[in-house]
Parts: sequence; C-alpha cells; structure tokens
Amino acid sequence: MVIKKETIDLLRPEDDPQEATAAARAALREPLRDLAAYHMDACVKCGLCGETCHVYLTDPVPENLPAAKAAKVVRHFRRYHSAVGRLAPWLVGAKELTQSAFDEIVEAVYGRCTGCGRCGLNCSVGADVGAIIRTGRNVVAAAAEVPPNLQAVVDNQINTGNQMAITVEELKATAAWLSEDLQLETGDEDVRIHVDEPGKRVFYLVNPREVKFFPLSLSAAAGVFRAAGENWTMSSKFYDVTNYGLYSGDDPAAARITKQVMDEAARLEAEEVVLSECGHGFRSFRWEGPNWLGEEYPIRVRSILEVMLEYIEEGRIEIDPGKNVERVTLHDPCNLVRWGGVSEPQRKILAAVASDFVEMTPNREQNFCCGGGGGMLSMSEYGDRRVQSGAVKADQIRATGAKIIATPCHNCADQLLELNKKYSLGVEIQAVCELVFNALVIR
Amino acid sequence: MLTAERIIVASSLVWAAALLTWQLLAAWGGGRKDYSARAGSSARGVLYNFTAAMSPARKEAARRHPFKFAVGMVMHLGVVVAVLKVVVLLIKPTAPPIAPIPLGGFLAFAAAATSFLFVRRFFSKNLRPISDFDDYFAAFAVAVYLGIGSLHELNVINAGTFLLVGAVVAFYIPLGKLRHVLFCPVARFDLGRRLGYRGTFPAGRAE
Repeated sequence: MVIKKETIDLLRPEDDPQEATAAARAALREPLRDLAAYHMDACVKCGLCGETCHVYLTDPVPENLPAAKAAKVVRHFRRYHSAVGRLAPWLVGAKELTQSAFDEIVEAVYGRCTGCGRCGLNCSVGADVGAIIRTGRNVVAAAAEVPPNLQAVVDNQINTGNQMAITVEELKATAAWLSEDLQLETGDEDVRIHVDEPGKRVFYLVNPREVKFFPLSLSAAAGVFRAAGENWTMSSKFYDVTNYGLYSGDDPAAARITKQVMDEAARLEAEEVVLSECGHGFRSFRWEGPNWLGEEYPIRVRSILEVMLEYIEEGRIEIDPGKNVERVTLHDPCNLVRWGGVSEPQRKILAAVASDFVEMTPNREQNFCCGGGGGMLSMSEYGDRRVQSGAVKADQIRATGAKIIATPCHNCADQLLELNKKYSLGVEIQAVCELVFNALVIR
Repeated sequence: MLTAERIIVASSLVWAAALLTWQLLAAWGGGRKDYSARAGSSARGVLYNFTAAMSPARKEAARRHPFKFAVGMVMHLGVVVAVLKVVVLLIKPTAPPIAPIPLGGFLAFAAAATSFLFVRRFFSKNLRPISDFDDYFAAFAVAVYLGIGSLHELNVINAGTFLLVGAVVAFYIPLGKLRHVLFCPVARFDLGRRLGYRGTFPAGRAE
C-alpha cells in the first residue's frame, strides 16, 4: 500500500464505530491495488499448509491452520469486492464486516499468526498467506481495533521517536557511560558512542531495547565501527530501528515512523543509514519504507551485517575465530531472511569469527519462526501461546548441540531468552556483532 | 454435428475467459511501482517460483503429504486431459475417442481422486470448518466432469453430453474457487517477482 507523504498526517481512524467499520471496508479494497487479491483467490483450502506453521505444529487445532486464518480475512474481502460475494454471499462464504467480526479477525491475524510467511513459501499452489494476513491487519488498523498493547508501542514511536519512550537525556547518559566502559575495556580512549554528530558517513539506528536493557550489542557495534575506522553517529531523538506499524498494519503510522527517521538522516547529512540487527526493522526500512512513503530514498540503507561482512572482506577489521570457541548456531529472523533477502552475510561472518559454527535445520528462507515475531512480544494476552509455539525452535536449537545462539534480531533474542528458560536449553543468546566484537584483534 | 453443444461450450469458454480477464485486470490496477532499491532479479525470482520452487523437495506441504499431493496432481492432470478432449471435439466433432482404455481409465482414476478430495472435505476436522458451498460444489462438478469424460472416452455416452457438462463447469469457473486456474499462476508470479526483487529467490541453499 502506497501512502503519499501528504496523507501521512491524516492518522488515527475515526472514533465512530460506523465510520471505523467503513474505513475497514475501504481498507479491504487496498489489496485490489497491490495484488494481494490474487493470493486470496489462489488459496484452494487444501489444508496441506498446517505443518509449515509453528503455531499449528505446537497446537494442531483447525483455527491454527494458515488457510483458516487467511479465510477469516478473505470472506470479508469477497463480500465487498467480488460480484458473487455481493449477489450470493452464501455461495462463497462471504460475510459482512461488522464490528463484531473484528474480534475474530484480531484473534486470527494477531493472536494466531506472526506473519512469518513460511506457509506461503511452502504452499502447494503458491498463495502468499502472509500477504493476506497483513491485509487483515490493515483492515483492523483502519478500524482502530489493533490490540491495545501493540498500538501503545506504535503510539510511543510516533510521540517520542522510539518504542520505549526513552528520553533524549536518558539516551545521552547511556551513550556516555557505555563509552566510558568501552574505553576501559579496550584501552582505547577514542572509542565512543557518537550522538548527534552531523556530517558522518553512517547514521546508525538501534533497537531501544539495546539502550534500555541490553547495551552490549550497542557497545559491540561501536567497537566494530571503531576498529574499522568508520565515521558514524546516532541521533539522540530518532534512532529507533524498529517500526511497529509493520506489525499493527497501520501503514500511515509506519510511513510516519519511516519519515521521521529518514528526515533525521537528511538533517545529519549522512551518506548511508545502517540498521542494527533487527529483522522487522530491516524489512520496514529497507523494503517497505520507500513504498509506504511512495518515493525512493535519496541514500542507501543497509544492515550492519552487510557492513560488517564488508569490513571483514576488505580487511578493515582483523578477527580471530579462536576467541569464540563454543559451538555457535544461527537463528534466521523471518523478516530479515525470508522477507528481506539477507541470508548469507551473517553466515559468512559467523564462519569467520567462530571456530565451531553449525546450522539449524531447516534454515535460511525455510527457517521456522521463533514465535516472537509479528508483534507477539508486545501482546501479553497471547504470551502463553507465543512461548508454546516456540517449542519448534527449541527443538531445532537442542538438535544442534550449540552453546551460543546468534540471532540478528532483538525481538527474536527476547523470545529466545524465554525459550531458553522454559525449555531448559542451557544456551547463551548473542547478537552477531557481539561475536564479531569478541573476535576482534585490536593492536 | 453437435452444432448446438459446440456453440454452448464455446460460449461458456468465452464467458469464463472474459470474466477471468476482467478480474485479472481489476486486481492488477496497473501494477505497483516498487520504490525500494532492488537487490535481486524479479525475472529470476519468477522463473524460480515456476520451476524449482514447485518441486516437492522445496515444498514442505507436498513433502509432508505425498499421498494427498499425488491425489491433487492426478486430479489436475485429469482436468488437462478432459479440457484437451473438449478442444478436440470443438475442432472436429466427429473425432473418435483418442485412446479409450488408457485415457478412459486415467480419467476414471482422476474422477475417483477428485471424489476422494470431495469426501475428505466433509470428514476432515481441519477442512470442514473452512469449507463453503463453493468448495464442495467445485470438487463435485470436477469429479462429474472427469467421470463423464471417462465414459465418453470409453464410448459409453455420447460427445454431446460430455460437451454440455464441460460447458457447465466452464460457466462456473469465474464464479467460484475454480478461478484459481488463473489466480494460482498469477499469485506464483507475484510472489516470485517480489521475492526475486529482494534477493530471497532464487532460493535453494536451505537445508
């Protein structure tokens, strides 16, 4: 869905339920413009998709069948945008979109699906169920029926610039003490977290979770940048790599979040935006963002994985895999790999920085979602189901015998931390840049 | 010379083609420009999604359900054969059955496979809740069509009956789930195009 810049400020659906439902019906028309309608008419409900879904595998009830979740959206689309659905709705199961229908759609597209897209890749006929699910989220967002905890994250991003509502002062203070720690650790007095420095080549975006709870990955990235001689900065206001508008289905909000970050990149006169390790953040800023804005970016956007691999291949950083001797495996974030096309840089990096790197099976675009995607982590009402659905990933991890799980995604890392406890995996979860930093040879 | 039957079936085919084309164009909407910077090749993505990606080795849904996948394949091959028979009769109404025993037998087998899918939909705990009249009727219509095609190939019934049943099925194509005959390839094209553009496709390194 393309949101023109001039419409970005026309946010928040109406409070009037009737108008909200009308807005949702209008949102159902959007697929007609971005081809999701094809996928709706491609699904033949053969039912073979169940075992491709981690939610179904861990709770094999009919409601968890990907085709069943898609059907909750398709039936309303047919009611308004197909001749048969209008004239003889009973024939094709078309249903009116009423206020009461939203509960069922919310349960199907937020509560039982992370939008990981694995079912679409393995669909016997090639229907992209993920596109249908996201259309369902668009419809719910248009009616202002997004689960409140998920909506609160989106609101935080719009109102404060970051999803955790971290203040500018807090960010600057964190950057200061992290810099001091890093200087002590490396003995390099010039290494630091650069904030609000215009004219630097790289504008680096991070997950606020790094600032608030897990700063090791931020200081690791700073250490790697320093070792490579990179010219970089963060912003004290718009540094958030996440975009929960992707999850909520609120495309105008997603566009606004994208715009505030890209405007900041322009203000800082950066030549490139580098995204910290974040699956949905990569998909949002790299792929969906320009389409939400309806224009091409003036500067390049890359993942830090691509940048770190470049440092290694160009010899800008020296590494010693002997510094990471424990067995390492890799969890592939769905939005980075399946929806983002980045699967090899992280493998090449891990093969270079760890002495015992092993793959999970299946992997790359066939990976299973950890269960924490799709905004699940913010929706506490689905917490038990989220952890239960992670059993598939827990089994994959256990089979590798690895002691360290590297994952280039902070949402996945949060979920893996919970799975580690729940399923007694006895592993350590790290970002890829932490392993690179640990392997750095600093002279 | 089956003139009336041929006109009816030809009209149904024109109707189906016209409505499907209209639905395709309505959904296409002129396409959509992708403003993101390309990382791969849409053409290679589409090619991959129509070739290697369709093999059971890359399709878990097929790999985990080999029997059901095979049943579906038999049904679809049967439909192709039956449609070709209609085409032959449209061109040459006096044409004799092509290969009565092998083709008639295969069409009977395909009709049985389709009947199995029809019955399965009634009894499957997963499929029944998501099935509508359309899902049952489409399977039923195709099973009858294949069965009649088999009987015609075996010279049990006349060509007129086969053509009229074919006309009914063709008339129904754009109205219900049978339109997936068009939308499945289009959906496959669309996903291949998008993931090819992003560099996810062609895939194949996954273990």
